[in-house]
Amino acid sequence: MPASQVIERICLEKRHIMKKTLIKMGALFLAGGVALAAQAATPEEDRTAFTNHYKFRFPDVPMEEYPNGAYAIDKIGRENWEAIEEFPPYEPFIDEGQEMWETPFANGKTYKDCFSDGPGIKSQYPRWDKKQGMVITMALAINQCREANGEKALKYKKGPIVPLMSYMAFESRGQITNVVIPEDDPRAMAAYESGKKFYFTRRGQLNFSCATCHVQNTGLKVRTEVLSPSLGHTTHWPVYRSKWGTAGTLHRRFTGCNRNIRAKPMKAQGEQYRNLEYFLTYLSNGLTLNGPGARK
Amino acid sequence: MRTKRLLSVLLLAVTFVAGTGVTLAADAKAENPKAVKAQMEIDKADKARKKAASVESEWTTTGKLIKKAQAALKKGDYDTATRLAKQAGEQGEIAYEQGASQKELRMPSYLKY
Ligand code: HEC
Repeated sequence: MPASQVIERICLEKRHIMKKTLIKMGALFLAGGVALAAQAATPEEDRTAFTNHYKFRFPDVPMEEYPNGAYAIDKIGRENWEAIEEFPPYEPFIDEGQEMWETPFANGKTYKDCFSDGPGIKSQYPRWDKKQGMVITMALAINQCREANGEKALKYKKGPIVPLMSYMAFESRGQITNVVIPEDDPRAMAAYESGKKFYFTRRGQLNFSCATCHVQNTGLKVRTEVLSPSLGHTTHWPVYRSKWGTAGTLHRRFTGCNRNIRAKPMKAQGEQYRNLEYFLTYLSNGLTLNGPGARK
Repeated sequence: MRTKRLLSVLLLAVTFVAGTGVTLAADAKAENPKAVKAQMEIDKADKARKKAASVESEWTTTGKLIKKAQAALKKGDYDTATRLAKQAGEQGEIAYEQGASQKELRMPSYLKY
């Protein structure tokens, strides 16, 4: 089944897929051009492959446009977006977040006691933490700070973490994405590889991987939305999304993209999504942070 | 040593009581073989769903079908329950295959290195 046809099915197909279709889909897993060779690629080779792919597909789009997502490649959507950006819907979130940042915890300490470089520290995340042996995202670091100070952890997809992260993102504007995969700890590379594996694994009843939409079919439309390139996917969070009617986190977006293909989402800030964020953010190395953002 | 023995005795006791509970529930439904069949298909489907989840490949559709099957069973609509549960079970199996067949990372050929 050609990809364009599959995309169409997302738009058209609401009814239950019949048994026969299901079995046909099963056969699909093994079909399609699949290369094993690039498996052993280094992160830098991965980033170059993605970059070249998009450069070939969109020769007129300069690299510094990629943080703008689909609006880098969709002229009509862009006009709308530029109008929205004149009165940014995420502005109240920044203000609210600043208040949160400045309000002391019950013990009298503040976020600043955890993040001495804060609030503009977005470019330090996600990063590999050797002591904890895991990828630490900014959201996780925020909750670790709260818990160390006797405060309850915040939810990861929506709610108060969103304004706080919006403020921190705003204060980080202009910083450059710079994910490091330290060579002195093989577990860091394993985390990157696991994120990469997640990205390329076909999931859900529709049998799509992230790459199916965001690499192979970038620029095509799903319903009314133009599929964005994955370079730039991580520069602008949290995002105020008109469809959500509010702002949300990157892991909320992961959840939505998984659900769209009828794959059960993973836990926000669980290991899989953190590793995915590690891989995805590495791809954007060199791109400027421009959060918070607005999207359709 | 002694606590260990005590623990195993306790465990046995619990298993026995739990086991009786299951048997009783099954007895209650045994009146209608169609109900038993539906329940069996639902259990099978849920096992298949969990198997898919074990390779991070569960579909959102499967759990929904199982819930619908359970609701149909409760209403006494055993044929519908069986049909939906079977559909869910098939989904679970395919989803498991989907995950298991991709144990190794496979790069798509459209991304050139
Ligand atoms: C069925 C196609 C499809 C699949 C598969 C898919 N997405 Fe998306 N994704 C979309 C659409 C549609 C949007 C909204 C338009 C856009 O920005 O691309 C989107 C948006 C996004 C965004 C936000 C882009 C922005 O500029 O704010 C991110 C990040 C993202 N997807 C990541 C992923 C990841 C990671 C995966 C794999 C887990 C994935 N997507 C799988 C369709 C898909």
